[in-house]
Amino acid sequence: MKGVEKKNLAGKIAFDLIVSVALAAAMGIAAGIALAGVTLLFASQAQAAEPPQQGTLLLRPRAAGEPLSAPLLSTAVAFHVSGMVARARVVQTFRNPGNEWYEGVYVFPLPENSAVDRLRLRIGERVIEGEIQERAAAQRTYAAARTQGMRAALIDQERPNIFTTQVANIGPQETIVVELEYQEVLRYRDGRFSLRFPMVVGPRYIPRGVEDAARITPAVLRPQEGRPPVNPVSIRVELDAGVPLGEISSPYHRVDVKVLGEARREIALADGSTPANRDFELRWSPRPGSAPQLAWFTEKQGGRYYALLMLLPPAATQGARLPREVIFVLDTSGSMAGASIRQAREALELALARLAPADRFNVIEFNSTAQALFPQAQEASPAQVQRAIGWVRGLEARGGTEMAAALNLALDGRDAGGRVRQVIFLTDGAIGNEEQLFRLIRSRLGGSRLFTVGIGSAPNSHFMSKAAQLGRGTFSYIGRIDEVGEKMAALFARLEAPVLTGVELRWPEAARAEAWPARIPDLYAGEPVVVSAALERLEGELRVSGVRAGQVWEARVPLAAGAGSAGMGSLWARAKVASLMDSMREGASQDAVREQVIALAIAHRLVTQYTSFVAVDRTPARTSDERLKLAELPTNLPEGWEYDKVFGELPQGATDSRFALLTGLLCLLVGAWMLRFRRSAV
Amino acid sequence: MKREYELLLGVECAWPPAPPPIAHRRPRAVRGLRLALAIALLALGGWQFGRGAWIQAKAWLAQVLIAQAWQRTLAGERHAKPWPWADTWPVARLSVPSLGIERYVLEGSDGAAMAFGPGHLQGTALPGERGNSVIGGHRDTHLAFLRALRAGDEIVVETRDGRRARYAVRDTQVLDRHDVWVAEQKGPARLTLVTCFPFDALRAGGAQRYVVRAYATDELKNRGGERADRTSHLL
Repeated sequence: MKGVEKKNLAGKIAFDLIVSVALAAAMGIAAGIALAGVTLLFASQAQAAEPPQQGTLLLRPRAAGEPLSAPLLSTAVAFHVSGMVARARVVQTFRNPGNEWYEGVYVFPLPENSAVDRLRLRIGERVIEGEIQERAAAQRTYAAARTQGMRAALIDQERPNIFTTQVANIGPQETIVVELEYQEVLRYRDGRFSLRFPMVVGPRYIPRGVEDAARITPAVLRPQEGRPPVNPVSIRVELDAGVPLGEISSPYHRVDVKVLGEARREIALADGSTPANRDFELRWSPRPGSAPQLAWFTEKQGGRYYALLMLLPPAATQGARLPREVIFVLDTSGSMAGASIRQAREALELALARLAPADRFNVIEFNSTAQALFPQAQEASPAQVQRAIGWVRGLEARGGTEMAAALNLALDGRDAGGRVRQVIFLTDGAIGNEEQLFRLIRSRLGGSRLFTVGIGSAPNSHFMSKAAQLGRGTFSYIGRIDEVGEKMAALFARLEAPVLTGVELRWPEAARAEAWPARIPDLYAGEPVVVSAALERLEGELRVSGVRAGQVWEARVPLAAGAGSAGMGSLWARAKVASLMDSMREGASQDAVREQVIALAIAHRLVTQYTSFVAVDRTPARTSDERLKLAELPTNLPEGWEYDKVFGELPQGATDSRFALLTGLLCLLVGAWMLRFRRSAV
Repeated sequence: MKREYELLLGVECAWPPAPPPIAHRRPRAVRGLRLALAIALLALGGWQFGRGAWIQAKAWLAQVLIAQAWQRTLAGERHAKPWPWADTWPVARLSVPSLGIERYVLEGSDGAAMAFGPGHLQGTALPGERGNSVIGGHRDTHLAFLRALRAGDEIVVETRDGRRARYAVRDTQVLDRHDVWVAEQKGPARLTLVTCFPFDALRAGGAQRYVVRAYATDELKNRGGERADRTSHLL
């Protein structure tokens, strides 16, 4: 009867197999459901603990902290401008008026090309110099200090133009000062220099797929009558233009200007301080005839020379006006409501009126969705232009900022029939998915050129400059309604004048130069070549060449003739970091870039996306029985914005009841089945 | 090979009618674990199911209590609370005769009010008054009927002073939660009913809203300046 035994054995094995598979499956399902349930429970608890995020139209999305006892912040900024370069010291003073211990978190903007290379933490008389570390390591260092009750500060970069300061263990009635310094190359265009200092991160629209949304959306105070704005900023500029000065102006803030010499001025805010709610800009032009055509600054550091080149090609002669296809894109999202949409509408009307009948055009508006005025570009006949102007006048700003939809519509890859295709994009750039949009622009640009016009009091400068760079166009800003005419005229001049293309730099062999950016973008009228270089030797001549309207332009720069200037190393490293980060969009491996950026940033003490500054005061301050409270410092709404158009939400109309019923039922069924199975099996 | 197959295939035919009990050979620990797991699952299931049922029960029971408060409101009581600790009160009775629907609208469109009834968005016109009256509600309780509304359907609103205002559905649309322009007060007297979309989604918290707009079919009286004060900050 061996056969029967075998059959029995096989039967048992098969049965065991089925049972264990079933059990495993049940365990899997049960574990999944249990996990889901637990997550759900915690999720609903977390929701309960936070202020309600949806509900009424007028509710703000994130609570603005405890206004009475939480730490207060004030900022003092001092600039030293010498020629093309500015060195800024930003002093953030956190004052705790209350009787509890606080950790302060402040999200703030800096210029998108700023090289942050120094951090100091001041507690009374003590000064602790910051140290650059890999981002995760710096965060660990900071977190350890925080738990041990030591005062500490951490500076992270969230975007090239968004930074976060965290300060731990601010004692009762105590003041802690965080000082950071940065270096930047000034913008020089159309014979005018400009120094721009952003003060507030405008509330950003966060579409799907932005993982660090919480880090770039600080709570925003609802403007209220009788309550002054928070975060006062004072600004002082010591200006040494290097050349005799002509006009100097601050279009958005009243300033006092003290004349110290032909080329030197001292500028300060006339009102002492201003709430951090809009960009500060200082513009100056050299006296006619003394505008610099060439600047070559060098600095020796650790056996290497670092240098900055600014070279202005000769003015372009007006070429024949080629017929164009111009696509205007207007941001009509909620963040544009108020002053911004009025500026944008007026700018667009001016641009439409300027079209020639030989041109073709279309207008696209976008908020939660994008729509074009015409299905395809139309002849710019007076009747069509009038129709477009009428349409634009009727546009209102409301809803979300689905910028990708608009870019897809504008960059449609259609043939423009031998015309120059120019896309003019009017927006405040208040979005959190910059990287996604940059990739989209890169992949869909084709033969078009993208020109960004930053609108309003606090435009996203990182978006404006990088989108224009990837779009092979250029960017400009309109910050006030009375600037529209002047700024648009300058933009038209750039659009219509021939472009300098194929710019090449040939460095002498002996210099062993490493220059960034590696590829010089096309230059529009009035724009200079700006390059940072590291060199072994300052010998020989650099030759710069390019082609404009079929004519070759060449210039020579003797390397030995440079003027000494400090901070060139930081600028070079910052330019290299920017180029490395750009290379990821072109397919460079993220790990390789990361490694290079970290090495570079640690050598030059730079804050980057991968490296942060941390400073720890080793003296213990808070004992373990005193609780530390977290205060996320609220920011102001940018000037001219409308709170309800940005934060308003329709009521949320759903409960979790169905989900709870369904998962509950599933758990019950599986549980019951397991019990029954157990009874029948025993 | 062939023989093994025959053996295995034969197994099924020779399956004993009552298989020998083999479960008792399983270690005690496994049985204990399974029992614990089953109990845990039952407990979790009971809790979850109960939670879901509670949301539904609360939603519908409350409407009964609110009906009584509405009678008191009609009798002249201001802010008649449906239960003593309530922080909301009925502001209108909404009905759709063709669907046999009747709902009491509460003041406030936050979660606390909307758990018990459709909520009137503060700062917008009251139902039955001139302007745009925005009412939010849950798609899986009080405003599930929005799905069945079609253009032309009639909605009747009974106001606090017993007046009846009639509306006809103009359009239905799917919007983003940030599209607050539908709450604007300009334009003709209308109701704007808002719920979450899609209707069949399991979880709450989506970004889409289903919006029904119904326009007044008869002239509505302007009920004084009180509303104008409250709406000014919206626009």
